[in-house]
Amino acid sequence: MTLTGGEVGARGAREKAAPAVVAKGLTKSYGRGDTTVHALRGVDVSFATGAFTAIMGPSGSGKSTLMHCLAGLDTVSGGQVHIGDVELTGLGDKRLTLLRRERIGFIFQAFNLLPTLTAEQNIRLPLDIAGRQADQDLFDRVVETVGLRDRLGHRPTELSGGQQQRVAVARALISKPQVIFADEPTGNLDSRSGAEVLSFLRTSVRELGQTIVMVTHDPVAASYADRVVFLRDGLLVSEIHRPTPQSVLDTLMKLEA
Amino acid sequence: MVKATLAGLLAHRLRLLLTSLAIALGVGFIAGTFVLTDTIDAGFSRRFAAAADKVDVAVLPAPGTDRQVPPHIPAAALEKVRAARGVADAQGLVRGTSALIGKDGKAAGDYPTSGLSVVEGPLNRTEITSGAAPKTDAQAVLDENTAKTRGFKVGDRITVLDSREARHEFTLVGLFDVGLDQELGYTGAVGYTTAMAQRMTGQRVFTEIDVVAAEGVSQEQARTAVAAALGPGYQVVTGEKFADDLAKRNGADTGILKTGLLLFGLVAMFVAALVIYNTFTILVAQRTREMALLRCIGATRGQVFGSVLLESTVVGLLSSALGLLLGYGLSLGALTALTSLGAPLPTGVAPTLTPRTIGLAVALGVIVTVGAALLPARTATRVAPIAALRSQIEERTFRTGVVRMVLAALFLLAGAGVTAAGVAMDPGETALFVVMAGGTVFFLGVLVFGPVLVRPLGALVGWLPAKLAGVPGRLAMDNSGRNPRRSATTTVALTVGVTLMTLIAVITGTVRTTFTERLDEQFPVDYLIQPQDRDATLPRALGQGLRNSPELASVVAFREKITKVGDRGAEFRVGTFTPAPGFRPELDKGSIALLTPGTAVIGRHVATDLGLKVGDRITVRTARAGTVNLRVAATFNPESGVLPPVTVPEGDFDRYFGAVGDSRMMINARDGVGADVGRRIVEAAAQPYPTAKVASAAEVRGQFEESLDMMVMIITGLLGLAVLISLLGIANTLSLSVHERTRESALLRALGLTRPQLRRMLSVEALILGLIGALVGVALGVGFGWAATRTMVDDVAFQVPVTQILAFVALSGLAGIVAAVLPARRAARASIVGSLATG
Ligand SMILES: Nc1ncnc2c1ncn2[C@@H]1O[C@H](COP(=O)(O)OP(=O)(O)OP(=O)(O)O)[C@@H](O)[C@H]1O
Ligand SMILES: [Mg+2]
Repeated sequence: MTLTGGEVGARGAREKAAPAVVAKGLTKSYGRGDTTVHALRGVDVSFATGAFTAIMGPSGSGKSTLMHCLAGLDTVSGGQVHIGDVELTGLGDKRLTLLRRERIGFIFQAFNLLPTLTAEQNIRLPLDIAGRQADQDLFDRVVETVGLRDRLGHRPTELSGGQQQRVAVARALISKPQVIFADEPTGNLDSRSGAEVLSFLRTSVRELGQTIVMVTHDPVAASYADRVVFLRDGLLVSEIHRPTPQSVLDTLMKLEA
Repeated sequence: MVKATLAGLLAHRLRLLLTSLAIALGVGFIAGTFVLTDTIDAGFSRRFAAAADKVDVAVLPAPGTDRQVPPHIPAAALEKVRAARGVADAQGLVRGTSALIGKDGKAAGDYPTSGLSVVEGPLNRTEITSGAAPKTDAQAVLDENTAKTRGFKVGDRITVLDSREARHEFTLVGLFDVGLDQELGYTGAVGYTTAMAQRMTGQRVFTEIDVVAAEGVSQEQARTAVAAALGPGYQVVTGEKFADDLAKRNGADTGILKTGLLLFGLVAMFVAALVIYNTFTILVAQRTREMALLRCIGATRGQVFGSVLLESTVVGLLSSALGLLLGYGLSLGALTALTSLGAPLPTGVAPTLTPRTIGLAVALGVIVTVGAALLPARTATRVAPIAALRSQIEERTFRTGVVRMVLAALFLLAGAGVTAAGVAMDPGETALFVVMAGGTVFFLGVLVFGPVLVRPLGALVGWLPAKLAGVPGRLAMDNSGRNPRRSATTTVALTVGVTLMTLIAVITGTVRTTFTERLDEQFPVDYLIQPQDRDATLPRALGQGLRNSPELASVVAFREKITKVGDRGAEFRVGTFTPAPGFRPELDKGSIALLTPGTAVIGRHVATDLGLKVGDRITVRTARAGTVNLRVAATFNPESGVLPPVTVPEGDFDRYFGAVGDSRMMINARDGVGADVGRRIVEAAAQPYPTAKVASAAEVRGQFEESLDMMVMIITGLLGLAVLISLLGIANTLSLSVHERTRESALLRALGLTRPQLRRMLSVEALILGLIGALVGVALGVGFGWAATRTMVDDVAFQVPVTQILAFVALSGLAGIVAAVLPARRAARASIVGSLATG
């Protein structure tokens, strides 16, 4: 599956198209022998195209590991991962890198930006790396959406934490990836900045038809998603659709009990 | 605290090694120099001590005052010595020149072979290595090296010219080792019986008389007796003292070698100190949080300071130990190399590692390392405990401070001013030293100004690589200018080496062109004939014969005599030339036609020495016409080396000095005569005169260039050490930066930068650093090379050896890339997930 401008609109309709990311029987363990840690013990999950999904679970439940495996940042111990029609497991580093470059966007909790580049250069970085031209309309729209028009020439050190995260969001959006993975993107932000970033993410799903998978600890953040899946001890244990902070909190309580 | 420091050191073994290596190389070079010279000295002393065992008393001529005649001992002295009480035997040593004729019928070698006496009995100090010593006047021995290069072996007949150039034949009965005698090693030597040696060399006098004392007579008793028998005018010493003196004189020789090598060693140490300074500065910056944490839990400033110093002490000790090992190995290699190149060095001596060398190496390594770490250590004490709580270490932003600008401007201006003053001075040593001082001050200015230069220069040299390497290239360019102070120190280390290399290249290039241009301008000679012994002359018949040859256009013969010129008794060469068509030596004013009977043209140095100007009168003591009074018709530049310093017309010269042989002939072939034809004609004409050495202008030039090239190669090689150390610095800085940017690299990889692209990014960064260093070095080297050549001679043909310098730049860039290999590999290998989690 390739990305064209037209498809963005089509996906915007949120039809039940083929899922963007699918994992089957995913396992991941660290170490060997007695000290082996089974971070994932067989996860089956799929993420719908054009949907905003949150992953939740207690600390150490395997959320980050799952995301890394899905994004091709880490190798899996068993099972399969598909991004669109491409199977990740078994790809070499070079192919994985190209795949990330073409199809995946990232937003991390911190250290998202290169300190030597301006905000605009940071936003365009994935396209530059791929040797692609930015779609100027999309660029304007994205910059407008995240409200960074007057901050484009600044370097990360001259931006607030919230602004930095918004630059990261813009960067993830600009290359029109098949899926954006975000690991606690608002973990370092105060609630207002966090809310801003989250609404941008939701807007991009609604308006640009973007697919987003987000790991979070925060029930409020999770409530911005269309669906929340819950992990415990490396297994997918529960999920809810159209979450509210309260319903997420309830599920979490049940899990920890 | 100590434990924490040591644990930290162990945790970063690779970094420790890289850092230590920089200092170790410098220490190694210096320690190696000492081991080498000590070993040579020890070898010499041993050999001389062995010689002293045979000699109880040595008689030497009193140091002479007349420089023209080497000091000697009259033959009659030998009888007096033999008659002295307590003398069992005494032998006079004869030494002079006796040119060996090679198998081609020409005198062998560039200089006439030495001729010497091989004495019989216990006083024989000539080391016969095969065959036997000469017993009759028909026998001779030859030094091993000459025998090998000229293809003679024991049993052969050899022909040698005596001092009047008459041929004598000898049977070669043995070969000998010239031992440590530098002169004999250079000229080669033929040994005869004492009587024959006197005949061959024409020396009826001795250079030395060796004495064996009778049974029961001490060296000192014998010495007193001999001294009393001889009276004043001699130097009479015991064998022991004789050996000591010889050893000391050789020690002075190795002293020069030592000083020369140590200079390069100091340059290397300076560069190493820069590297260490930079490494510790980066380490302190990177560990801000760690140190703040230590301060939070109660460490005092002193303790933090101490921990950095302790770390540097450990590095210094480690490097010194490593350096000593390295130096020992280096000197061993150098000894082997020198011996295999035929240098007259004592063989079979184990390298000497004296306590002084060890102490010096350790002290040097530790002092330089700790000294370089002092400033960073002080910075470390300024870390506030609160820094532990900040989430991210701020990038050190660099702003061009007023103090820095003022300081840099001061240094740069002062340096430029002093240099300009040196250039404006009359050429000479003082001017050169002034320029050198100016250069040093200017360099300090560059050191201070460096951080300001890094960004613009990085943009300049990085433009093309950034274009070619795409995004990695652009990122690399940004990174190279990210921490200007760090980049500046890193590159300045390289600049030191490149500056000096360029300087040498420019100076030698300029000397080369100046020399050849002069040669071409003055008198484009095709062939030069000179006697093998520069003080001898050639029969005039040779020149006459050449003049009759139709293929030759001109044959200019020069004749000279050394005599007193002026009132103060100064001696100069007074000479003339046989005019030939086309020979018009250049004068400062007017043409050679000014040289009319009763006049002289003189070199500028003569005019300066005697305080003369054109039109003045000059007195010349002559052999036949008494003291004559000549008018100075013109002056000329003596550097052309064509005309004798005081040149008179040919007729006058004959009148003044009578029949004098030619000391030099410059020959030009007619146009259209092939080079090999001309050469054959000239050589055929010279064949009957074994000592007449024919050289073509191309050969003269070739020899000169060869020796220049050799010099450039040696100096460049020695400076290479400083460059190598600076590359370690680049590698170190880069690997520390890579470490610092672990998370950044992971982010880039996550965003789709491939491993090769990440590696390329770091390579380009190193390339840019290397190029900045090289560029500044080349600019400085060319600038000060120009200034230095200005101080050497008048009207130099300034020449920048472009290819050589481009090669330096290219190699620096390449070396930078090589330095990046390891850090880049490490960065590319790091796992993305693991790197994202660090922090
Ligand atoms: N490199 C590693 N080596 C060994 N064990 C690891 C490694 N990375 C993660 N783990 C283990 O795998 C399990 C899952 O870790 P993971 O980071 O995915 O948890 P998480 O759900 O993201 O937790 P948190 O909410 O604290 O971020 C944990 O038990 C962790 O200790
Ligand atoms: Mg996590």
